[in-house]
Amino acid sequence: MSLSHLRQHGVTLIIYGVLMTLILASSVASDVFPTSRNFNNLIRQAVALGIVSIGQTLVLLTAGIDLSVGSVISLTTCLTTGLIHGRGDLVLPVIALVIVAALFIGFCNGVLIVKTHVSPLIVTLAMMSVVQGAVFLYTKGPVGEVPQSFSFIAWGKFGFMPFPIFILATVAVAGIILQKRMTFGRYLYAVGGNEEIARRSGINVDRIKIATYMLCSFAAALSGIFLSSRMGQGDPLAGERYMIDSIIPALIGGTSLTGGKGGIVGTIAGIFILTIVSNILNLLNVETYWQWVVTGLIVIVAVACCGRVKT
Amino acid sequence: MAANVLEMQKISKAFPGVQALDGVDFSCVAGEVHALVGENGAGKSTLMKILAGGYQQDEGKILLRGKEVSFASPKDAQREGISTIYQEFNLIQDLTIAENIFLGHEPVKARGFLIDTRRLYQVAKELLRDLGTEIDTRAKVKNLSVAQQQMVEIAKALGLESSILIMDEPTAVVSGKELDALFRTIRSLRNDGKTIIYISHRIDEIFEIADRATVLKDGCLVGTITPKEVSKGDLVKMMVGRSLSEVFPSKELGQKKEILTLKNVCRGKILRNISFTVNTGEILGVTGLVGSGRTELARVIFGVDSLDGGEIYLEGKKRTKGTPEKSISSGIGFATEDRKNEGIFSCLSVRKNLTSLVLGKVRRWCFVKEAEEKKIARESVKRFNIMTPHIEQEVQYLSGGNQQKVILAKWINADSKLIIMDEPTRGIDVGAKAEFYTLMRLLARQGKAILMISSELPEVIGMSDRILVMHDGQIMGELSPSEATEEFILMMATGQLKKNKAEEELCES
Repeated sequence: MSLSHLRQHGVTLIIYGVLMTLILASSVASDVFPTSRNFNNLIRQAVALGIVSIGQTLVLLTAGIDLSVGSVISLTTCLTTGLIHGRGDLVLPVIALVIVAALFIGFCNGVLIVKTHVSPLIVTLAMMSVVQGAVFLYTKGPVGEVPQSFSFIAWGKFGFMPFPIFILATVAVAGIILQKRMTFGRYLYAVGGNEEIARRSGINVDRIKIATYMLCSFAAALSGIFLSSRMGQGDPLAGERYMIDSIIPALIGGTSLTGGKGGIVGTIAGIFILTIVSNILNLLNVETYWQWVVTGLIVIVAVACCGRVKT
Repeated sequence: MAANVLEMQKISKAFPGVQALDGVDFSCVAGEVHALVGENGAGKSTLMKILAGGYQQDEGKILLRGKEVSFASPKDAQREGISTIYQEFNLIQDLTIAENIFLGHEPVKARGFLIDTRRLYQVAKELLRDLGTEIDTRAKVKNLSVAQQQMVEIAKALGLESSILIMDEPTAVVSGKELDALFRTIRSLRNDGKTIIYISHRIDEIFEIADRATVLKDGCLVGTITPKEVSKGDLVKMMVGRSLSEVFPSKELGQKKEILTLKNVCRGKILRNISFTVNTGEILGVTGLVGSGRTELARVIFGVDSLDGGEIYLEGKKRTKGTPEKSISSGIGFATEDRKNEGIFSCLSVRKNLTSLVLGKVRRWCFVKEAEEKKIARESVKRFNIMTPHIEQEVQYLSGGNQQKVILAKWINADSKLIIMDEPTRGIDVGAKAEFYTLMRLLARQGKAILMISSELPEVIGMSDRILVMHDGQIMGELSPSEATEEFILMMATGQLKKNKAEEELCES
């Protein structure tokens, strides 16, 4: 690895260094932390946040933002459990249905942003309200139940490895290939870096944006399906926290809100940093609300440092 | 002579209020460097934008290799092998060199699913090697020098297999060794049979690099020449030969008192050893080409940028560290070149714009005394003859000339003693210009000092009491309007003459 390589990936290296340090420090601070049981637990906590953050990262790369992901997650948990309602034979058709619904929401987001030129912040905020309203019309409280087969998604094991880790790994690898090796990923950076130049280079900017919002919604749906398996029930407010939480790992990982900078690799480190901080504070019996305080501080420090560590 | 690769016939293009191009013919052969020269506003850029698909001509046609073509977009022109390298590069800063070169047409594998990264970097490396540069193609563009970015742009054009390259003032951003490298590259491209259209107004360069030169003036074709066969003076005469058409007010001076003195002011490479004095009651004109440091000079005086060396004296007192706030309170005003973004609050009313610098004066505790504010606004509107239906009109709906008057009035309200005006009449129509000139002269006579930065030579000669010509961050000399001619200023602005030498030549002729 040459020096210029090292410099270019400086931010990513630093963030992974921080992650490693955090893991070591946590292992020293708590005996429970390095156990396999806690490890399983940690993964289960990371999956839902992880998948939706990876989707959100793609949107952020285009200099957009998707605030509707939280409501999409809520919608998918309620629809999944409510429609399956304990029947094993309905699992696959219902999963297909909720994914289509999520893709449609993403499509609407993208088209509205591209055609009306209203800022993504406003379009997706409005979409959040619309979708959340629809969820409450469907159910005011926890709903549905899931069959044994569906529980496998969150609680199953593959050998000695918890199944959720494969879900997260698959999404992460797919995301990285998309971002680094496919023309689509290249165009995300071009659109976010300078839309006008992207257009002049013959890139169909509108189509790229619409596809990105669809992917992000798709990721939110996967998170929702996983959550409904984990909780065994749908909850109309299950996704509420993900509206903002999905952005935080990306910010910690070096993705910029102004677009064209960062990527999924950094986001993955961000996901684990957040999850581990929350996990270790739990293990050390620190009151939950301290996690909020700590998370906020991490974001500020991380983003300030990212700006500083310019190549 | 070889057949024309490109022929533009009787091209006309009008914009609201101006005939940018009027029946211009332009043609190129393969394997030549063809310079396109003329003053600002001569129509060079418009002509090239039409060729590159950025604009569509109103009349006339374009023949490419004998076939008539029309380009609806830059993409169409690129497909036909016409690429433009602008002064502002079209590169995405956070992508690598190779990724930029192939942006929009990446080599792919796996049935178009994945980018063929190996080929991407290999071909990019070959392209750059052909251009005689060895840059790491995996480096991000943001880490490159400007000259390197320019090479990447050229490589990008070659990656599109362009046969016609339009270069818009390529030397505005490079100098010295980099310039030599650029010229070497241009020559080798020419020898490969490419056509290079080279937009410039630097006479020296044209004589060094161009095989032919086409001169435009005020949207009309003056002629096409072969630099080898004419003198530099002839070319300059072709570029500027016109009479002063604008009406300038007679030059009456106000009371003279030294207000601003610069001693050996330096800032990086863009300002070098600048020394001069501005007096009240006069209009001091500063001119030079784009990139000569004119605007940077204004920014330093106003305190937007800091100095690397030298001193600035305000009314005889040395200024320690300048900031815009301090400059305003010590009586300096700055009407910038970019009126819309830096000069006015376009969504605010005329009244709010006029008092934006003096809110402190019309305030009781934290409240604005609106009655007084309105009084000030009405007085300004009357004094400066600002054409607006009422003082609550949003400034964006005023004409350019009236917006400029609002800016001037705003500074006068703030008791500015020295007003720096960067391109004061840009984008203002001719009638409004004359009125604005009268206003500037009136202010000078009333004892204000005006530092006018302008690239329009008739304006510089017609309005200034003294003229400073800048080139490459230096002042080439001071001229009085009686000794200044457009040819003369242009010779100095292109670095061919310094004042002393210039005087000798003037005596000879």
